[in-house]
Amino acid sequence: MATQSHSLSYAGCNFLRQRLVLSTLSGRPVKIRRIRARDDNPGLRDFEASFIRLLDKITNGSRIEINQTGTTLYYQPGLLYGGSVEHDCSVLRSIGYYLESLLCLAPFMKHPLRIVLRGVTNDQVDPSVDVLKATALPLLKQFGIDGESFELKVVRRGMPPGGGGEVFFSCPVRKVLKPVQLTDPGKIKRIRGIAYSVRVSPQMANRIVDSARSILNKFIPDIYIYTDHMKGVSSGKSPGFGLSLVAETTTGAFLSAELASNPQGQGAAVLPEDLGQNCAKLLLEEIYRGGCVDSTNQSLGLLLMTLGQQDVSKVLLGPLSPYTIEFLRHLKSFFQIMFKIETKPCGEELKGGDKVLLTCVGVGFSNLSKTLK
Amino acid sequence: KKFPESSKVASGQRLGSENLIDETSDVEDLLKEEEDYKEENNYSTETSVTEDNEEEDGDSREELGGLFRVSQPSRECKHKLDSLDCSRFHVEAPHDWDLEEVMNSIRDCFVTGKWEDDK
Repeated sequence: MATQSHSLSYAGCNFLRQRLVLSTLSGRPVKIRRIRARDDNPGLRDFEASFIRLLDKITNGSRIEINQTGTTLYYQPGLLYGGSVEHDCSVLRSIGYYLESLLCLAPFMKHPLRIVLRGVTNDQVDPSVDVLKATALPLLKQFGIDGESFELKVVRRGMPPGGGGEVFFSCPVRKVLKPVQLTDPGKIKRIRGIAYSVRVSPQMANRIVDSARSILNKFIPDIYIYTDHMKGVSSGKSPGFGLSLVAETTTGAFLSAELASNPQGQGAAVLPEDLGQNCAKLLLEEIYRGGCVDSTNQSLGLLLMTLGQQDVSKVLLGPLSPYTIEFLRHLKSFFQIMFKIETKPCGEELKGGDKVLLTCVGVGFSNLSKTLK
Repeated sequence: KKFPESSKVASGQRLGSENLIDETSDVEDLLKEEEDYKEENNYSTETSVTEDNEEEDGDSREELGGLFRVSQPSRECKHKLDSLDCSRFHVEAPHDWDLEEVMNSIRDCFVTGKWEDDK
């Protein structure tokens, strides 16, 4: 990281997070041009500015330059510092937007990260805190990131547009990551879920549970969907409800799906019964895609494989999402790593669609800023 | 100008073949042929119109007043550069999970399904 390497150049605001995250981990500066340059409202949005501020808080010595219109961003990463941090996220995106990147960076801090994030905990765009807790944390554990201090907690729930939610995340630091062999997805042994409701009748959550169960019971009997009705200050500023479902397999893979009601004042009212059924069907779609890592966490898994010790890592995934495909391209430019990609046709088996096996040799990344005790 | 000729040829052939089968249906067939001809004609005018449009579009994209070039990045490329930064993988063509057939396609993903011999 000490050597001044040549900066990478990109255009457009898409994939901003992965570019900045990979820049921070690799130490290579990035320059991003033409951010919404032709838009009526050009430049970085509030939620992106908030993301950059968050990066500034958890690193030490980062240099960030933004031009007057906000259409060009230069980012020279500093060292990942960590420690106790608080951050008010923009309510335009959910906390999941910020948390996804923190999950990539947190294991490589100098001091273990303990962060309080405020904003929207569940929305219709990003993976919610509940889903990340149930899927991303077990994935990190596969790579040897574990311990008592490894925690993600929804303290207050906040729905858009008002937000008002609060999340606590703490993550231990590691010097090196274990390589993984995630080639057997196993079989789904149980389905868990959380039906939440805030500032609406608690009966909503029960209606969601009944309708989701009616579909999933055809496949497996072991289903438990918790109802979570937060009250008072813990219920945020806007009403809403939703459901997140997670299927756990015998080999410890987690597949997830979720849906949330329309934000207050936007779109038609959603019936809890419809929401429950649609979400159950989304989970069946995710099971059809299959793999050892669910579609939202594909890129996190691939990143941790890249940063592993210099040994072979393998992972079986469902079809790669557009976000993951772009992430693989970014991994190549930041870490000069190429994955071997083999398709595994589903054939005659009743196990969903085609799968992809990705293999790589880790770059042997080690967290040099971690203090020895 | 081409079509009258082709239709004549076609009608001649049809009449020739149908003489063998039935002579009384000739009048009806002739009427049908007229309808066919009209449809064909409509179709041809439509295609020519769309072709013209395409050509005009192409011209305007390349040059303006014979001097300037309008820079227009392809819609897809522009869309990709500034689109939403989101890791969710949306289902584009959802299956109909009410069908028994579709439900069976994931049966063995569950512990309740069939197991491999070695387990």
